[in-house]
Amino acid sequence: MTTTLAGKIKAFKNAAVLLLCVLSLTFSSAFADDGAKIFKQNCAVCHRLDAQKLTGPGLAGVAGRVPSDDWLQKWIKNNEALRKSGDAYANKVFQDNGGTAMTVFDGVISDEDIKTLITYIKNPPAEKAPAQEVAKQGNEAGAGQEESPVNTYLILSGVLALLLVLAVVLRGVKYNLLNVVAQKKNQPEVSDMGWWRSTILWLSTHKRTVAALVIVSCLWLSKIAWDGMMGIGVYTGYKPEQPIKFSHKIHAGDNAINCQYCHSTVEKSRHAGIPSPNVCMNCHKGIDHGPTTGTAEIAKIYAAIGWDPQTQKYDKEPKGIKWVKVHNLQDFVFFSHQQHVKVGKLDCSNCHGDVKSMTVAQQVQPLTMGWCIDCHRKTEVAGMKDNPYYEELHKKLAEKYKGQKITVDKMGGIECAKCHY
Amino acid sequence: MGKDTTYWRGLEELANSPEFVKHQQNEFTEEVPVEQFLGSNLLGKTSTSRRDFLKFLGFSVTAVSLAACETPVNKAIPYIVKPEEITPGEANWYASSYFDGQDYASVLVKTREGRPIKIEGNGMSGITMGGANARVQASVLSLYDSSRLRGPQMKGAAASWDAVDKDIVSKLSQISAAGGNIRILSSTVISPSTKQVIADFTEKYPGTKHVMHDAVSNSAMVKANWHSFEKSAIPSYYFDKASIIVSISADFLANWLSPIEFAKQYAKGRKISKEKAELSKHVQFESNLSLTGANADVRYPVKPSQFGTVAASLYNAVASLAGAPALEASKLDIDADIKKVAKELWANKRKALVVCGLNDVATQMIVNGINTLLDSYENTVDLRTPMLVRQGNDEAFLELVNEMKAGSVAALITYNTNPVYTAPEASQFTEAYKKVGVRISLADRADETAAMADYICPDHHYLESWNDANPKVGHYSLAQPTIAPIFSKATGHEGTRSAQESLLNWAEVHEDYHSFVQKYWERNMFPHQTKESSFPMFWNLALQNGVLELDVNAPVEVKDKKGAKKESGAKETSKVNNGEEKVSGTRMDLASAAAHINKYTAKEGSWELALYEKISIGNGSHANNPWLQELPDPISKVTWDNYVTMSPADMKVKGYKMQERQDREASIVNVTLGNTTIPLPVYPQPGQMRGTIGIALGYGRTKAGALSDKTGVVGQNAYPFVQIVNGALCYTAGDVTLSGEIGTTELAATQVHHTIMGRNLVRETTLEEYKKDAKAGNEEELLTTSAGKKDAQDETLWDNHERPGHWWGMSIDLNSCIGCGSCVVSCTAENNVAVVGKDQVRRTREMHWLRIDRYYTTDWPNEVKAAKDEADKEGIGMVDMYLDMENPNVQNPKVMFQPVMCQHCNHAPCESVCPVLATNHSSEGLNQMTYNRCVGTRYCANNCPFKVRRFNWFNYNENDTFAGLNPAQDNLGRLVLNPDVVVRSRGVMEKCSMCVQRIQAGKLDAKKALHKLQDGSIKTACQQSCPTEAIVFGDINDADSRIAQLRKDERNYFMLHELNIQPNVSYMVKVRNTEPELAEVGKAHGGKAEAKVEKKES
Repeated sequence: MTTTLAGKIKAFKNAAVLLLCVLSLTFSSAFADDGAKIFKQNCAVCHRLDAQKLTGPGLAGVAGRVPSDDWLQKWIKNNEALRKSGDAYANKVFQDNGGTAMTVFDGVISDEDIKTLITYIKNPPAEKAPAQEVAKQGNEAGAGQEESPVNTYLILSGVLALLLVLAVVLRGVKYNLLNVVAQKKNQPEVSDMGWWRSTILWLSTHKRTVAALVIVSCLWLSKIAWDGMMGIGVYTGYKPEQPIKFSHKIHAGDNAINCQYCHSTVEKSRHAGIPSPNVCMNCHKGIDHGPTTGTAEIAKIYAAIGWDPQTQKYDKEPKGIKWVKVHNLQDFVFFSHQQHVKVGKLDCSNCHGDVKSMTVAQQVQPLTMGWCIDCHRKTEVAGMKDNPYYEELHKKLAEKYKGQKITVDKMGGIECAKCHY
Repeated sequence: MGKDTTYWRGLEELANSPEFVKHQQNEFTEEVPVEQFLGSNLLGKTSTSRRDFLKFLGFSVTAVSLAACETPVNKAIPYIVKPEEITPGEANWYASSYFDGQDYASVLVKTREGRPIKIEGNGMSGITMGGANARVQASVLSLYDSSRLRGPQMKGAAASWDAVDKDIVSKLSQISAAGGNIRILSSTVISPSTKQVIADFTEKYPGTKHVMHDAVSNSAMVKANWHSFEKSAIPSYYFDKASIIVSISADFLANWLSPIEFAKQYAKGRKISKEKAELSKHVQFESNLSLTGANADVRYPVKPSQFGTVAASLYNAVASLAGAPALEASKLDIDADIKKVAKELWANKRKALVVCGLNDVATQMIVNGINTLLDSYENTVDLRTPMLVRQGNDEAFLELVNEMKAGSVAALITYNTNPVYTAPEASQFTEAYKKVGVRISLADRADETAAMADYICPDHHYLESWNDANPKVGHYSLAQPTIAPIFSKATGHEGTRSAQESLLNWAEVHEDYHSFVQKYWERNMFPHQTKESSFPMFWNLALQNGVLELDVNAPVEVKDKKGAKKESGAKETSKVNNGEEKVSGTRMDLASAAAHINKYTAKEGSWELALYEKISIGNGSHANNPWLQELPDPISKVTWDNYVTMSPADMKVKGYKMQERQDREASIVNVTLGNTTIPLPVYPQPGQMRGTIGIALGYGRTKAGALSDKTGVVGQNAYPFVQIVNGALCYTAGDVTLSGEIGTTELAATQVHHTIMGRNLVRETTLEEYKKDAKAGNEEELLTTSAGKKDAQDETLWDNHERPGHWWGMSIDLNSCIGCGSCVVSCTAENNVAVVGKDQVRRTREMHWLRIDRYYTTDWPNEVKAAKDEADKEGIGMVDMYLDMENPNVQNPKVMFQPVMCQHCNHAPCESVCPVLATNHSSEGLNQMTYNRCVGTRYCANNCPFKVRRFNWFNYNENDTFAGLNPAQDNLGRLVLNPDVVVRSRGVMEKCSMCVQRIQAGKLDAKKALHKLQDGSIKTACQQSCPTEAIVFGDINDADSRIAQLRKDERNYFMLHELNIQPNVSYMVKVRNTEPELAEVGKAHGGKAEAKVEKKES
């Protein structure tokens, strides 16, 4: 019964959250969505949609400035060729922006996509409404609550207390009614022994039921204790506060930056790698304020690497960033990212969840040995099929396990010395 | 194993005393001290009631669970700007050069996140050919030695570089202005750039002279070569080109000249296969049983006083065959044997090599004479390519000491040398040193010499510095820093500075040594080659390879420092040879050399002494390295000590304690020579020539570093015993007297922990037998069943393991293994093996995953053979039979080495007894050990027939008892740990994993590169460091792999095959080149005659 109740509460909450989200969504065409994506991937590093200048000029009102849409198309595609062709406006733009050449996108963005992009630039989305922000925060808070077992228990114990009170009240009502009946029939009053004594009486006359109840509750308590013990050291949902309020959602989600741009050693090493601040500076040399925190957080990168935004030089004492590790594997476990990502061709989200939606990075999976082994037992090896290293082994295993899927454990993937040495 | 030989691992097994028999079945030789294990011996006296106990238990459980609930907050700090070449988690390798004044090796340095953690040999080097001995392997630990000075010192107090430099420059200038003498005293310098630095220094201070002095000197060879050939140099030797090698007391596999190179060459001549059923033959004359002697086919124990005579007799015997005139030589009782050796030498003319380790000009000249008669020059000996690793000049050194005594040395700069410790007592160096005006030391620590100096200007470790090396004419190599200096301003210290930069600074040449070396190479090496046209390309290539070989004999135009053109050719580069141009005088001829042989007649009742170096400690410069101190001596298996080695028969006569078990007491006796008396324990050493003793140099360092604070001074300094004879340092002496027992001590030997009980573990045959039948000496061991003898594999209880992918196997060629111990140190470094110290080794708790068993081999006397046949016939009395069998001739046993690590049995006895499945089998044939599952029952160790499992009795990396001893306890020392291997905690079993971290990494590389695993791409640490390539590792399932081929070889065998444990480690039968004739003589001399004496005495 408890589960169904919890389920209902959860479902209700989900529905509410969903409704809120749907309501808060502003209408936008699929066209502009594509445009936004292309813009973020290719242009956003140097250009803003408003009038503010980054490396390149702000794009607000650009359609009015340039000679024609066609010129813009040519400029985006290959500005260098356009300048070389002697186009006066093109050379003027180049000079006005301090002679910094724009990237040539010929062969990078298709003509069709450039058209989409121009449409997007001409009709930039409106600034986000405050309602939207609130909805987002609500969404996040909801997500946090859902995963907290404490709240469910609180609700359950509340319900239990309510039921107990109800039982006591009903019992009083019952005796009152019985006395009324007795009075009517002129029978002696049914004396209330008091709930305590009557309970004892009931218990002493129903020994088998009591024994069964005791056993069941013992088992139930043991299970709770066991689950509790197994949870020690498991930090699913661990979401520490970081020295810089870095948002994976903005970077990997909204701006669709590839995970490997920052975690560049994921295919080269056991560690995925935490980007050093100089990687941040590839973009943040130009982008000095963010959509949610303004300049406050990005300034921390500058402090860490010793960049002075005024002089545009690295002339301060660098400090480094002390990130708080979210995923802590024990020292006696050897885990290799390259084995899983490069060879096994797993997607990051298999273990790290939907990072693209995380404002604060958190641990999604338990990272216990049981969890590792479970996956190794279930997962069919994907990387093996076209890897000559596995060719012979695959043939042998395919013969041995005819018709079954070849999982990691069948190749010895749950043997001790694969991870412990 | 031949049927008529028996193997014994130590005298205690041989003697088979009742006590030994009682203990031989026990794994541990004594009661386990539980109090110490629990940390307090008061525990037994407390009165804790059961209730109290339960309260404590309840409290601890609660406390632990609460503590465990806390979320750990781990910080991760990325680089500010990540260096392009560093990928966290992946190793980088750099080529560099190692030279410490003793060993030269071109090395590859493995660095992780910018810190060096492992040294391997560089296969591109034409000299060391990928070899690295124990000392080179261990050198990475001395980088993290916290006893190194962190800044310069002036009169014993810390000072700044500026202050020190200012002081020194003003003093040197004053001396120079007054025409005073400045001397630079160093061990051999093989760096051409460093020599240029010294030349620049000399230019600035013209009164400067550079004197080189080697602690263990070979300067007599240089002189002998001048007398013989008018060439002051030490030649190159080619042991691989020699069919017969005769060594007179030269320990060329461990310490003599260039042991890494020689071991590589020697092993080439000792590789045998059906296709090439040939072996070089090795005859050794020596008094101590050295590592080289242990590998000899025929070994003659000779007294040190007879070495010269042996050389002369050998010369005469060869000369009589060559028709040359004979020399004057006294009679020896082995003259007949020497004649036979000479006959073999003569038969192998141009393919023979005679070497001699004596630092005696006359003896070396006679050896030169023998090599000349045998046409060895330009075949096995090459004087055109001199070796430059020993340039010490004893005469110059003694002259310097005399100058110092006379007070005429105004300033002495010591570099990479420690004469206060190493100089012979007779030279009175310490007294003379006090008379020097200004004493400057460039040592990296306040060692014995530096502690007396006015200024210590600490040098970088070699892994922090730029340098170059010229170990042999035409062979160059570069050393590059693999880590920024650990002690520097950046780390909050005044910092160390390369010795060369110090000298340049004082010479007021303000240039960093990096660009100095670069410019030197641009001027001197670059013009000698035509391959690269631009210097930066040439430099980068040389740096990447680490080595460069140049044809220096071709004359080319080079520019000198000021840009003027000058001719360069052979002369230019061979100028570095020790004093070649300066020597003048009359050359001695052979006849007068024979008359000048250093021989002495021992007085009645006195002993002859031969000093030697251990392969672990060498000349003592690495005495603060716990890895080397804990490496067992290859022969005696004693760690953490030096001692007097003595023939057991002599010990009986003297009534010294025989140490029949390793933790028994050894007698300490006073060893007296002249005015010097040193108390040392006595260790019984079979094979030691009777009437002689041996003592290892390199011990008794009082100021080597912090290690001795913990352990006390390790051993005793034997350098005072070094004699000065005919102007050369002499490492042998007569007239040594030994006192009676003055006390007792306990030596820590790793020997005889477990007995063998006559099982067929090591197998050998002779070349003759092998030629007849490749399976000789490799009889199959069968299981005795009720249905007769059967192959154990046919009578199995177990199912076979499936190994669909890889099947890892290892093959160890006993014919190539020389027992040097390089693999043991390599394994220690790779696998974070704990150092446990002398006390724990005494308790048989050393942690080495890989040990080298040393077996003495003796032939059974005929009567024992008959007894065995009788016993065989009757099928009874096994124990008595073994007792009888073990009655060998101890006087001159043959020696066998067998490296033993976990055998990774497919039917492993350990796996079936583990109650928690902490040890089990992988589908790749590995016997896996999972530390975090282990609860420490030690059932596995009990059930392992090889006793290769080591138990962590303590938390060696945290327990205070091991602070200062175990590098893992030191903040700095900890940096040497391999991050890919777990540091084990107390209460778990550990053992060889076959370097599973390397296997996993190698597999991953193949997977990423999308190709099959290539044979040889994965090397275990022991394999990689083996100087003789005795160890081969690979995938048995790959039919083309070397390991698969070797396992099919007739010489292949498995230990304890009869138990059906099916090990994945296999061994190859040793083949000795003991031609019956020569073997008989060897036996007759050292063997039977002595055996009879033995019997009479007992």
